[in-house]
Amino acid sequence: MRVLFPLYALFLTIFVVFSYLFIDQNLFYLKNLYTGFAYQNRGIVSVAYLLSILIFFAFYYLFLKKINNKELFKLIAVSSLILIFSYPAMLSFDILNYIATAKVLFFYQENPYIIMPIEFVDDPLLLFTRAANKVALYGPIWVISSGIPYLLGLKNFVLTLFNFKVFVTFFYLGNVYLLQKYTKDPKATALFTLSPLVLIETFVSSHNDVVMMFFGLLSITLLMKNKWKLAIFFLLLSVLIKYSTIFLIPVFLYYFLLRSKGKTVDWEKIFLFSYISMLVIFILSVFREEIYPWYGIWFLIFLPFLRRYKFILYFSILISFLLLLRYLPYMYLGNYFGAAPIMREALTFVPLLFFLIIYKIKLSKN
Amino acid sequence: MKNGKFFVLLFSAAIILGFPKLTFANSEYVLPYPSFMPGNFLYQPRQLISKINYYLYFGDFGKFDYFLKESDHHLVEAKTLFEYKQYFLGVNALEKSNNYFKQISIQLVKAKKNKKNTSEKEIILKKASEKHIEILTKLKEELPEHFRWTPEKSPPTEINFRQLIDTSIIIRKGL
Repeated sequence: MRVLFPLYALFLTIFVVFSYLFIDQNLFYLKNLYTGFAYQNRGIVSVAYLLSILIFFAFYYLFLKKINNKELFKLIAVSSLILIFSYPAMLSFDILNYIATAKVLFFYQENPYIIMPIEFVDDPLLLFTRAANKVALYGPIWVISSGIPYLLGLKNFVLTLFNFKVFVTFFYLGNVYLLQKYTKDPKATALFTLSPLVLIETFVSSHNDVVMMFFGLLSITLLMKNKWKLAIFFLLLSVLIKYSTIFLIPVFLYYFLLRSKGKTVDWEKIFLFSYISMLVIFILSVFREEIYPWYGIWFLIFLPFLRRYKFILYFSILISFLLLLRYLPYMYLGNYFGAAPIMREALTFVPLLFFLIIYKIKLSKN
Repeated sequence: MKNGKFFVLLFSAAIILGFPKLTFANSEYVLPYPSFMPGNFLYQPRQLISKINYYLYFGDFGKFDYFLKESDHHLVEAKTLFEYKQYFLGVNALEKSNNYFKQISIQLVKAKKNKKNTSEKEIILKKASEKHIEILTKLKEELPEHFRWTPEKSPPTEINFRQLIDTSIIIRKGL
């Protein structure tokens, strides 16, 4: 671990520098840092990204093998403190959508569920916001709470951008606290908190999925304490952030059914159902649009409670890796059309199918 | 886990469904389909939704959208009612449409005061006006100049269609 720490910190720092190669030409607020490198050298950055992901997972593997409480918190601190400075629109432009939506509500004082950012034709955000032609995509609790980082940004774009990162970080830390409190196992907590997918989607892209899942996890832990009214309240908060945790309702119903029959609750089973339920909505997301890498957070949050299920463990780690590969086709080709969507699906599902088949063969042999 | 088959099925479905879908859009100004007409049991709930929407469509642009939507809706309602010779109800709907239409440009003035660029909204309003005038002109040709409406147990009412439609067109022309 002594050698690993500085190496890991160095790697993260290089990754942060690498992220700035992706600055959008139109993002004039960061024009001094713009190089255009990622757009002129697509092959090189794609290989570099793939290598980075492999290194990320190599560290993850080494950490999971041997980690104690102290090391866990050190690694979380190092990861968050370094990665928070990365360029947030390296892989996804969602943070820009969060800002644009918050601006519609808090600056223009319009309803973001009715008025789209693109309707403010003079707004400089339109130059680099990708989903400006959409009304608010997220739940009202997210839209309202995004006012905190937005208003604290004091109309300074760069400050607002990093405020969103800090805001999301608080909920990541909330997840760390809950996971460590209820698993009491640093290796289990590390499964989620040090997962490269979680780290990248939280500290680089600043997706609000950790916020939604914080309230989802909190609601289940409150059920454990038999505080079901509070649990329902926090589940509702979670649903009103990004809707997906509506799929935790069957888990709640199962809990209430057991309670009504006077049966004892097997909490591992509850977490297993939660994992499967969130995996189902993850798969169903193809009906809406497509499977985005950060959706993995929805079920990965329950992984620390399911360590002893080897299939789930390997499946989760593999899918985390494969989801991060979904960025490669766009990174390499520079567009979302033609071969890109086919490559994206192939990169994720072909290895996954192989894994499932091999696992099935192994099972039948045993 | 003995759920291998379940996962294989789940992911096979994901692969099949995960391929991109194409969607097309029409940019022309299109009026809505006729909604529930007076007398339908869902007409009053629709009116209630419209009242709730008034508060949900806050902001200058929100109100612009709201008034335009309502004006469109009531114009289509009026047209349908006239076609079914429900003249009195049709007049009510057209007057409502006119009142909503008058509010639209007021919202644009407010938006300008709030330093919002209204150029796109002005284009939408112009297209909407043209479409409304097109409908009103057709109605003018189809409707009688005057109509004497005699409801049960009430004195008769004279409806001057020509004047009403001319006024409606003037409102849309912003004169």
